[in-house]
Amino acid sequence: MTTTKKLRTALLLGIPAAMFLAYTAPTIAHHAFGAEFDRNAPIKLQGKIVKLEWVNPHTWIHLEITTEERLGEVWAVEGGTPNVLLRRGLRRDCLTPGTEIIVDGYQTKNHALKRANGRDVTFTDGGKIFMGSSGTGAPDEAADRKRAYEKGRC
Amino acid sequence: MANCARILLNAKSHLSTLAVALALPALTQAQGDEEWVMPRTEYGYPDIQGNWSNATITTIQRPDGFDKVMTPEQIAEIEGERQQVIEADAAPSDPDRDAPPEGGYWTGNPVWDSASGGSGGYNYFYIDAGDRVARWNGEPRSSLIVDPANGRFPPLTEAGKAEIAAAEARSESDSQYDNPESRPFGERCILSFGNNLGPPMLPNAFYNNNYTIVQNRDQIMIMTEMVHDFRVIRLGEREPLPDHIRPWFGDSWGRWEGDTLVVETSNLPHRQINSSRYRVPGGTEQIKITEKFTRVGPRTINYEFTIDDPAFYTASWSGQVPFNKMDELVYEYACHEANYSLFNVLSGARAEEAAALESEED
Repeated sequence: MTTTKKLRTALLLGIPAAMFLAYTAPTIAHHAFGAEFDRNAPIKLQGKIVKLEWVNPHTWIHLEITTEERLGEVWAVEGGTPNVLLRRGLRRDCLTPGTEIIVDGYQTKNHALKRANGRDVTFTDGGKIFMGSSGTGAPDEAADRKRAYEKGRC
Repeated sequence: MANCARILLNAKSHLSTLAVALALPALTQAQGDEEWVMPRTEYGYPDIQGNWSNATITTIQRPDGFDKVMTPEQIAEIEGERQQVIEADAAPSDPDRDAPPEGGYWTGNPVWDSASGGSGGYNYFYIDAGDRVARWNGEPRSSLIVDPANGRFPPLTEAGKAEIAAAEARSESDSQYDNPESRPFGERCILSFGNNLGPPMLPNAFYNNNYTIVQNRDQIMIMTEMVHDFRVIRLGEREPLPDHIRPWFGDSWGRWEGDTLVVETSNLPHRQINSSRYRVPGGTEQIKITEKFTRVGPRTINYEFTIDDPAFYTASWSGQVPFNKMDELVYEYACHEANYSLFNVLSGARAEEAAALESEED
């Protein structure tokens, strides 16, 4: 890796490497996904939405599995915060009950809960449900987001 | 599928607009600012009210090899790569994809990966951390810290190092999963993680870096979207609190020096100062924080801060963070509303303990 590449990567990653890591506590987000989900329990789910909890701090999508494996089970999938999703023009009425989706992620550490995080949440054709950036408040971005919201994204 | 197609179309439009905006010369903004007149409240003070964001790619500390001011090439690369991350997360996935790999999925961003523990979050499904480097009076910055001149935290005292070591020992202890009270403030929805409201008010690397400021003659209220924290800064001569009274976010008093609001804060609780170590290393109960808010244009507040804590740091240190005006609402973030995550974390710990016991019995 060239020096330029290293420097660029260091800043892109938001971290002056070792010195920053020395100051990094293990729990640095609203909640540590690492404490909640089991990285040794990956899962892929496909099913129809039966309930959407558009709640803080994070959304939860409940789906009834439609595949042979786990058929009929109801799983809950953790998603992004409603504030972030709303700024991307995604409203709670975008995801109506009955919509079939595919989720891949990791199960909670307590596997009995039938809960997982939504690492990748898509429609059945692979198109993303959640995506994009709501930016930094720069005027051009704000106006663009406002238009997207007013038009609705669903 | 029409929904999906429309989302993709809007995302492309968004990215195109951003690309055009990035290409605009800084001159446009400067010309606009020349016509700007400082808005004032009915009491004659600068009006800093409204909704603001301090989200940025620029890190608190300066990476090795960077000067204080970034070159156009560095900006293009760094902002371009962030955009690539956003676009990659927005691209369609293979519907026949497998589950993610056992052992963890890693984004390559140490901050996000540290929080996710390889469990797949956080990607841009969750993150809204800004996509531009911080520009201070138009100057693109490689760090938010400006003093020391190397853009880094000053070295810690021996007491500071001991505090860090003790905190690390606590965070590695099994007892951290014993009960709700042993979990971090952010996870319990008590304080915003990452020092959003501060002081000092620093952007986090995840989301909700948004603020509402309201003022009257005698007080300034600042609320951050992250966990809906707020503080009320009283204006005038400080009436000192007893040393043992330490409210969340400390005791802040402000005054106008010309058109700059100067705020001094003391009486911060020890457990709060040392709870968001990934943004600020920590401090003692003697820490004093001075903040300066100067509105420099229709869409910008220049926010400066200085940390004085000689028992923890070998020197004081200062930073500069631009706040950009938002043309949208700051939403309620009622974190307690459905904080299933705390239950999941504790339930997971109990399941792991049960599995360990079962394993021992076998």
